[in-house]
Order: sequence, then C-alpha cells, then structure tokens
Amino acid sequence: MSQSATADAGWRKHLPVINAFMRYGILIIIGFMMLYPLFWMIGGSFKNNQEIFSSIGFIPKEPTLDGFKKGWETSTEYTFATYLINTMKIVVPKVIVTVISSVIVAYGFARFAIPGRKLLFALLMATVLLPKSVLLIPQYLMFREFGWLDTYLPLIAPQAFAVEGFFVFMIIQFMRSLPMEMEEAAVMDGCNSFQVLTLVVAPVILPAIISVALFQFMWSMNDFLQPLIYLSSVEKYPVALALKMSIDVTEATSWNEILAMSTIALAPSLILFFVAQRYFVEGITSGAVKG
Amino acid sequence: MFNDKKIGSLYVAPFVIGFLLFTAFPFVASFVLSLTDAQLQDQLGSANFTGIQNYTEMGRDATFQKSLGVTFFYVFITVPLKLAFALFIAVVLNFKLRAIGFFRTAYYLPSILGGSVAIAIVWRFVFAGDGLINQALEMIGITGVNWLGEPNTAMFSIILLRLWQFGSAMVVFLAGLKAIPEDLYEAADLDGASRLRQFWMITLPLLTPVLFFNFIMQIVQAFQEFNGPYIITGGGPLKSSYLLPLMIYEEGFKYFNLGYSSALSWVLFVIIAVFTAIAFWSQKHWVFYAQDREDKNGGAQK
Amino acid sequence: MTSSSVRLSAVTKSFNGTDVIKGVSLDVKKGELVVFVGPSGCGKSTLLRLIAGLETPTSGEIIIADKDVTYAHPSKRGVAMVFQSYALYPHMTVEDNIAFALKIQGRPKAEIRAKVHEVAEILQLDHLLQRRPKALSGGQRQRVAIGRAIVREPDVFLFDEPLSNLDASLRGQMRVEIARLHRKLGATSVYVTHDQVEAMTLADKIVVLRAGLVEQVGSPMTLYRHPANLFVAGFIGSPRMNILPATFAGSTADSVRIQTAQGSLIIPRKDVSKPASDKIQLGLRPESLSLTAPGAEAHLTGYVTLIERLGGETFAYVTLKEFDCEPIIIKLDGETAVHNHQEVALTIELKRAHLFDADDQALGHAPDFDPAQV
Repeated sequence: MSQSATADAGWRKHLPVINAFMRYGILIIIGFMMLYPLFWMIGGSFKNNQEIFSSIGFIPKEPTLDGFKKGWETSTEYTFATYLINTMKIVVPKVIVTVISSVIVAYGFARFAIPGRKLLFALLMATVLLPKSVLLIPQYLMFREFGWLDTYLPLIAPQAFAVEGFFVFMIIQFMRSLPMEMEEAAVMDGCNSFQVLTLVVAPVILPAIISVALFQFMWSMNDFLQPLIYLSSVEKYPVALALKMSIDVTEATSWNEILAMSTIALAPSLILFFVAQRYFVEGITSGAVKG
Repeated sequence: MFNDKKIGSLYVAPFVIGFLLFTAFPFVASFVLSLTDAQLQDQLGSANFTGIQNYTEMGRDATFQKSLGVTFFYVFITVPLKLAFALFIAVVLNFKLRAIGFFRTAYYLPSILGGSVAIAIVWRFVFAGDGLINQALEMIGITGVNWLGEPNTAMFSIILLRLWQFGSAMVVFLAGLKAIPEDLYEAADLDGASRLRQFWMITLPLLTPVLFFNFIMQIVQAFQEFNGPYIITGGGPLKSSYLLPLMIYEEGFKYFNLGYSSALSWVLFVIIAVFTAIAFWSQKHWVFYAQDREDKNGGAQK
Repeated sequence: MTSSSVRLSAVTKSFNGTDVIKGVSLDVKKGELVVFVGPSGCGKSTLLRLIAGLETPTSGEIIIADKDVTYAHPSKRGVAMVFQSYALYPHMTVEDNIAFALKIQGRPKAEIRAKVHEVAEILQLDHLLQRRPKALSGGQRQRVAIGRAIVREPDVFLFDEPLSNLDASLRGQMRVEIARLHRKLGATSVYVTHDQVEAMTLADKIVVLRAGLVEQVGSPMTLYRHPANLFVAGFIGSPRMNILPATFAGSTADSVRIQTAQGSLIIPRKDVSKPASDKIQLGLRPESLSLTAPGAEAHLTGYVTLIERLGGETFAYVTLKEFDCEPIIIKLDGETAVHNHQEVALTIELKRAHLFDADDQALGHAPDFDPAQV
C-alpha cells in the first residue's frame, strides 16, 4: 500500500516534465508541418526545375538565381516591377483612405449622440456579415456607368466611405475604452471636436490605427476577385493577377520562376508581419474579446 | 458638445453615404436584377422582367445543385474542424510555456498570407501530380494520388488550405483563454476537479462568447470562399470544388448572365443570413456572458 | 461689477426626462473656495459640468465674471478643470500637457515656454517636464493636472473629486497642498467631493446637495453647528450624529421641553414655534455626550455594547434603556476606562443638542446662532 503510494508519487513527480515534453512535441511537429510549404516555396525559388521535382528538401543543393531572373522578366512585355508598383498604387491609397474614413466614422459612433444611432450601428455590423458577392454585379454596373472600368477607382473609392464595418468596429472598441474625461479636458483646453480627434484621440489610439492599416494592407495585397473584375489591361495588373496569369502560361515548365515570384509577392506581407505582429494580434482580438 | 446631434451626424455621414451608395443600393439592385434576364454585354434597358424564373431555373440546374452541395460540404467540414483545431492548439499554447510567442507567430502567419494568390499557387504545386506531397509519398513507397484531378480529393486540398489558416481563430481563442481568471482553476483544483473536467466546466463555458465570434466569422468567410477553388482547381474536376461564389462569378462575368448570377448571389445571401440568424437567436441558450464588471462602477454619477 | 464670480440662477438639467438638477441658485464670491458635497447621485458633478460647459442646462442661467456663459463653449468661459482621473494626455510630455491649451489658443512659443516653466516651478514639476504621464506617480500626475489648469489663468478653477484616486496618506498631503495653493493664488474655485473631511478642511463655503437640490449653504462650522435639517446633520460630521425619538412638550422664548423614553429634558433653543406633529427628533453628536462626572446631572443611561479604541480617542456604543432606537455612539478620551456590558450614565452638552421636527427640518436654532448672519 505505502509502496505503491510512493511509486505513484515518483511517477507523478515527473508528470510536469512529461507534460511539457508532449506539449512541445505537438507544437514543434505541427509548426514544422505548417511552415514547410513556405520553406519549400522559398527554397524552390533558388532551385532549378529539376531539383524541385526530384527532392522534397527545402535547402537548394545548387542555389541559383535563375528563377528570380526569368520570373522577373515575366512572359509579358512588363517586368514584375510594374506589377509590384501597380499593387502599391492600389494598396497605399486604399490604406490611407480606409484609415481616415474609419477613424472619423468610428469617432461619431463612439462619442456622439446621433439620430438613429442604434439602427446605423446595426447596419454597420450587418456590412461585416453581408456576402460581398451580392453586391458584385450592381457595383460593377455602377462603376461601368461612372466610366471607372479598367481604373483603380472601383478598388479605392468606396473605401473612402468606411465601407469595411470590421475596421470601424475595431476602432470604436478602442475609443470606447478611453476615458471620456481626457476628451473633455481637451474641450476645456479649447479644442473643437475635430481637434479633439486629431490632436488627442487619434494619437492615443495609434496602435488601433496601425492595426487597421496593416489588415487593410494585407487584405488588399491578397485581393484577387476585385482586380480580376475591374482591370482588363495587363499594364495595370497588380501582382495577384500577374501571378495568376503566369501559372496559366508557364506552369508546366517553370516552377522555379513562379515560386520565386510568389516569394517576392509575399515578401512585403512577411516583413510587415514580423515587424508588427503585435498589432495584428491586438487588432483581431479587440473586436472579439472586448465586445 | 458630444450631445450635439449635428456634429455627430457629420462624423457618421461618410458611412451613411457610402452605405447607401455602395451597399444598400447594390443590395436592392441585385435583387431586382435577379428578377430579370439581364446580360452583361447589353444595355440594362433591354433586359426583360422574368419574375422568379431565375429562381425556379435553379430547381432544374444540375450545376447549381452540385455547387450548393459542395458548398455545404465545404463549410460543414471546414468550419468545425478549423474551430476545433484552433481551440486545441490555443489550449496547448495557453500554459506557461517558453517560446509561446514564437509558436503563436508561426501558427498565425498562414492566416495572414493564406488568402493570397501566391499561397494558392504554392498549394497547387504542393498537391500537383509531381508536387511536394506525391514526392514525399513516393519516398516512403506509396504511389501518389492525382490530388487535384480526382473529384474526391480536389476539395480536400482546398479544405486543407483553409484549415492551414486556423491561426486567426486561435489568436482570438488565446486572448479569450487569457481572460479567464486563474483563481477559478485554483478553486476547481481545491474542489478536486480533473483537468479534463475543468476544461468542460470552466474553460469552455467562459469561452463561449469568443467561440460565438469565431463561429460567425468563420461561417461568413467560408461561404464566400473564392480564391482557393478559382486558382487551385478552377472548380473542377467535374464541378467537385465548384463553390457557389465561383459559380456566381462565372455566371456573371464568364457567361454574362447577370440575372441568374444575381439570383444565385441572393441564394447565398439568404443561406448566410439564415445561419447567422440561427446563431444569434441560439446564443442565449449556449453563450455565457460574464457580467460586465465596469457596469457596476460607472454610471452612478454622470 | 458685483463681487460674485460665479452665479447660477434657477439652473435645471434633465437627462432623457430625468431631472438631475432641479433648480439651483447659487453665488460664488471672488476668491472663494466653494465645495459641493453630497452622496453619489446628488447632482454635484453634473452641477460642476454645467459650470464647466461640458453640459448645457435645460433651463436657467450661468454667469461667470459678469458674463452670461450659459451656452458658451467650455474654453470661452474663463474656467479650467481638474478631473478625477487627471485626464492627462498620455502621448504628450508634462510640458506639452501643460502647454496644450496655450498652443490651441495660438500663443507665441516664447510666451508659452515662459508660462509653463513658471507654473512648473510653483508646483515643483521643473525636473519632470520631459516625462510622459505614465512615468509619474499619482501625486505628480495630480500636480500636472493642476498645472494644466493654472497655466490658463482662469477666472474660476473647477475640481471634480480630484483626490479620490489617491491613496489615503497622499490624499491628506495633496489636500494641504491644494489649500496652500488656493491661498497663494487666491483664485475662485469650485470643488466637488463626496468626502466630508475634504469639504470641512478646504471650503470657505460648503454647498450640501441632495437629489438635485441645495440642502444648505454655509461655512463649514455653520453647517456643523447649525445644520438646517437632518440630512445635513447626518452628512457633516463623523461619526454621524445620533438621532433619538422624542416628543415636544412645550417651549419658552429660549428653550424647549421635550419628553424622551427616559424622562424630560430642557434644551436651550431659540425661535421655536410649535411643530405640526408632537413627534420630534433629538440629535446628539458623539462629542457632545460624555460619561456623567461625579456630582453632575445624568441625562441618559444605558449599557456599553461595543468599544472602538482608536488610540487618541475611544468610541463607545451605548444601548439606551427604554429607547427604541439604534445604539448611540459617544466619543470619549482615548484612555477612558470603560468595558463592555458596563452600565453608564451620560451627560448631554445641552446647548449643543439639535432638534428636528417630524419632517426632518431643524426646530428653531441654537442660542449662539444668528440666522441673519448667513
């Protein structure tokens, strides 16, 4: 009896170690499997085609920049640089107008008495849940009427009107967590409401604003359907369309080129993610946990 | 000043204008279009009012029925698996492990990148006939499968891509887990509750608000999946991965049937609306909202 | 030109149909420090916010320095406010926090610098000017908040429970500092608190509020000695005044005879008219009761049921014989020898006794009080 109790205690003494060992084991194996496709993509960019098809390791045996050189040329008359620049021409203005409009609208919702406020807020939240494909065709026809087809305007202009309810909601949550007294102090100090917003509120919720900017940046980089519908000239294509076009043309043969260009296409997002990871985490959790 | 309705309305005005112009109007217009035989190449004026013909047409359209079926299949497999997996990893991560930040980063990264065309292409290569997976299988002596060429496995590759992106749900779960006070577990320890029991009796009930949020977001997202099937499988083979958003796009912009495409999009809308409505309606039965502590303090004075 | 710096006339405020301020008229004289006290929900903060301009009244007038500012923007009223949570701007240094109002006004840089440094010196913040609020202690943040108010040289300072976020020892220290500052600057101030100690120690004049109405206005000692009703009597003074039931048994020009459960008492009291109901209430502060000295007259008897020794003083809870009321508290010297269950006889300092009618209003007034003074 006493013997088995001590044996049991001895086994239990090691339980935390075994426990931790199992946890790390699970985490490392899953993590490795998850990241492997990314390693394989980056490694593949530096391989020649034969090696991609003959080895599943991700470290290239004979590293070569061929994939980058040829991929950068692309099969079109433009280099990949054109598509990268086009992407930025869409993404940068989109991020800027999204941030400005979302902050302004969120401030109205968070702090002011507005006629019909409950209804408006419900509509705002409904836009988060509304499938975009319901709006796709009428929006297309509308922008066709505006003469905006094959321009970047359909991709950017709506964002100036705080159409992404998710972002507005995120900023509202941050604003509501601020003490009202701080804004009242600013009013006492002589600010009008817009100065309160720009001089006091916006700087204080800067982390939220950065989160919104980063999410919009990523989503816009990844956006494929909208450019697919609205852009018809190859010279205006963003990276997403250029990549899709390149697999249609060269998939069978030049995997290294495509992997190299995929790596380049993901590089800005990868870098931003590692630099600003905490803003992503804060952004996505603020809506879910506080709300 | 903050009580001034005029100033407040001014701040919200961009949203109201944008909502009317870019959401409300297209929303209604798409329903009107769904009652016509409008074609993309024609002037809208030449379209005929056809009543509910587009909707009755769906009853005869085998492609639509196939698409509807695979859409439900995709959503019903992807969402529960993704949530379960995200919760599992979040719970494993939520112990005072070293390097938790590292693992969180590693697991969250695919969520950020996964929606991109580049990743979809990599996925296509991974599952290609001579791709990464088949090469790996060959090494251990198993003959590869034509993943993207077989109706049974094509959808599998897309589901796996979206499961790969469990990170954002996991991060939300993690934040929810961190918000559960430690002393609840200490009290349960003193009461002699096992770890598993603690999970069912404490963790899960307190996590239901977060679970609810994740569920809604994942459902809405999953029903709108487009990039994956469009780039990886093109909806095939034999329409086995022809999700509704893909069909809506092709009907509208490939076959130019604006009326039918709009009707399809309304079906998708109604499906999502029904699911979210059920979720919101049912939440009072299973979502446990802890009383907001701030409510007790504030309010008395001002 | 009048001598009043802030004047409220018949100010009311309702939120969504609920009357929070039900008609308040008030004068604050130049250089005076007026304290609004009352339990939470009494409207004291709302009243302050109405003066600040953060709320606008439903009706009535607010006049500051002879200008009607009822509907003026907060920054155009010549008022500055110190908030409960300090409300410092977390993204600005101490210097920028203090300078912010002047920058908004577009004052020249050199002038701003000079003023900020002058204020920082007064408040001993010179060495902290480049810090962010996060790096300051509670007391330092409080001083920055005050500095932000001073730099604007307002006609009136408004304080909204400025000490309630500080711990007890620091609160005492800051209280002294605010009193000293007020004497130095001689600025008109309105100060809101729920703490009657703060009210007593800081105020030139106390305004006691309840449910949106002014209960009584007067100097701290006036309110303490001559509360106009049972509410003020209960709110000012700690421990609270003891209240005993009694009946009115007749009055002369300068005294009232009352009947209690333990017999009759003659209370010196002026201007007493016969109350509507014979049921009245006898109010006795703990310090106007003492153990009956040998040879002195005993007014009440009872048993000690609880003793609290604070060192310098001792509070004894005495359950009175015959009375149907809570045990009364008496304040004794710290070393007084009493023990539980002891039977004690008590002497009342009769000229400090208070009388209230059945409607809780003071019945007449103490002989040493001149109502015309107020």
